[in-house]
Amino acid sequence: MTASWKNSLRVLALGWLCLALVHPLAAQRHDVDVAVVVHPDTPVSNLSLADVRKVFLGDRQYWSTNVPVVLLIRAPVARERDVVLKIIYQMSESQFKQYWIAKIFRAEAATAPKVVYSNDMANQLVTAIPGAIAFIDAKDVKPGSKVLRVDGHLPGEPGYPLR
Amino acid sequence: MGSRFLLLLLFLLTTTALLAQSPPPPAPDSQPTVQSLLDRIQQLESRISQLEERDRQKEAASVPAPAPPSAETPAQAPPATAAVVTPAPGPGAAPMQGEDHASMGEIRDIERRFPSLQIRGFGDVDFSATDQKGAISGFNLGQFVLHFASPLSEKVSFFGEVSFTAQPASYELSVERSIIRYDYNDYFKLSFGKYHTPIGYWNAAFHHGAWLQTTIARPEMVQFGGTFVPVHFVGLLAEGNIPSGWLGLGYNVGMGNGRNTNLTKAGDSGDANDNRAWVANVYARPSSLYGLQVGASVYRDKLTPQPGKNYEEWISAADVVWTKEKPEFLAEYANVHHRDVLTSNTWDSQAFYVQVAYRLPWQQSKWKPYYRFEYIHKPESDPTFVNVLDLSGSTLGVRYDITNYAAFKGEYRNSRHGVDEPRVNGAFFQTAFTF
Repeated sequence: MTASWKNSLRVLALGWLCLALVHPLAAQRHDVDVAVVVHPDTPVSNLSLADVRKVFLGDRQYWSTNVPVVLLIRAPVARERDVVLKIIYQMSESQFKQYWIAKIFRAEAATAPKVVYSNDMANQLVTAIPGAIAFIDAKDVKPGSKVLRVDGHLPGEPGYPLR
Repeated sequence: MGSRFLLLLLFLLTTTALLAQSPPPPAPDSQPTVQSLLDRIQQLESRISQLEERDRQKEAASVPAPAPPSAETPAQAPPATAAVVTPAPGPGAAPMQGEDHASMGEIRDIERRFPSLQIRGFGDVDFSATDQKGAISGFNLGQFVLHFASPLSEKVSFFGEVSFTAQPASYELSVERSIIRYDYNDYFKLSFGKYHTPIGYWNAAFHHGAWLQTTIARPEMVQFGGTFVPVHFVGLLAEGNIPSGWLGLGYNVGMGNGRNTNLTKAGDSGDANDNRAWVANVYARPSSLYGLQVGASVYRDKLTPQPGKNYEEWISAADVVWTKEKPEFLAEYANVHHRDVLTSNTWDSQAFYVQVAYRLPWQQSKWKPYYRFEYIHKPESDPTFVNVLDLSGSTLGVRYDITNYAAFKGEYRNSRHGVDEPRVNGAFFQTAFTF
């Protein structure tokens, strides 16, 4: 093997090494935590992941006797929805749809989660509707919103489960 | 030198191509389907129309140029009172330019209105062919079912279900469920009407829409028109969660008319005797084992199939289910105890089924093969279960979800009904859908 080829291989190896370092960093740019945001008057500040699941499965429908839970969820394709389906529901899109059809017509819930089309809309609705709860990209949470701790962690903290 | 440049060029091309793919590919389950993209496009189109309409209205209103909308500019800074009420989340918090703001109209739209009727239909078309003597193969139209759900207030809601079943000369219309429910809180919900009796799992989990269930048919122990367990129940039902932490306990307790003189029917128009039936069901959904449900049920009634003939009925049942689809596991057992009030003779009949299914990961998870074994045994001499036959049968099939709302199912069944009867083989096909 000539020296020229050896040098070329070194350059190639170095390039691939750089790529191996850069690629995960590029991927991490998308791993922003998803915050669980509730109406400011909601009488909770910390929920376990199991409790969040219970709320979003419609198994817990009241924050207190007079405050019903109002579920807000992003429309399909949004990253927040993907995170919710993957981590909370552990369902595919079609399983999620089937789950709520069955839930409503089993008479276990009166309505399915309301669909919101942007994080801004979710921010505004969650502060406007008593009992509302939504998942919002942590960088899009507006000042004054009430962000819940999940398993004792806020978005951005180590151990936060929704990312 | 030239070859080095060639290699560098190759490297640049490959790295560029790979970096272009740098966002992590979504899991196969989260791949947006064409349908969901179409849905999304439709939603965005309607949203654009709303925004255009709003702009037109604004332009029309701004012709006289009233005072500038200063009230809109300062954000309504909500009080940051508690630690969980966040300040702006640091340097990454870019202003959401370009994103739309929810109008009061949207807030009104998303707030609950009463009554708010939702209707959903279910239907199926079936084909069957068996080697049973005298059986005729062919198509038949399954039940055409309409479900109604309507919140009447924050705490009161109505659910209804009607079915149209094909008969040789006409269609039979039947009210399958009609429930008005008052929710006090998560721990106590009281309802009145006609239910699917909460005995075991299947009967309360799946209704008349065949699309909801994995298989073509229900297990025979909970078959519509069957006798083994009372499928319907007319009366009142209390239900809710039981404060139990990670155990996730819940309950159903009901009292009602019980079985009619025709034991396959509920007492819609009145009870067959002066004795009310009652049912109690407790289940656990442990939070640490999401998908698992374990339940136990007890049902008590007095049967009067003919005037002067009275039998006490005790049904005890247990169920274990894993509701996720990788795998799905359903198993249920019931014992029906009958006692002749006059002679004190007793009879015990048993039934169970075990069903396993698995949602295959490829082809957008559309395929779901399944297997079910079911068994029924009843004493020959039980006078109330004249129409119940012993059963030992297997079902092997596959479900293919054509879309989110329609499925094809194909099944092979091998079963023996009755004692010393030959086994029957059959092929069954169904397309089931909701609309």
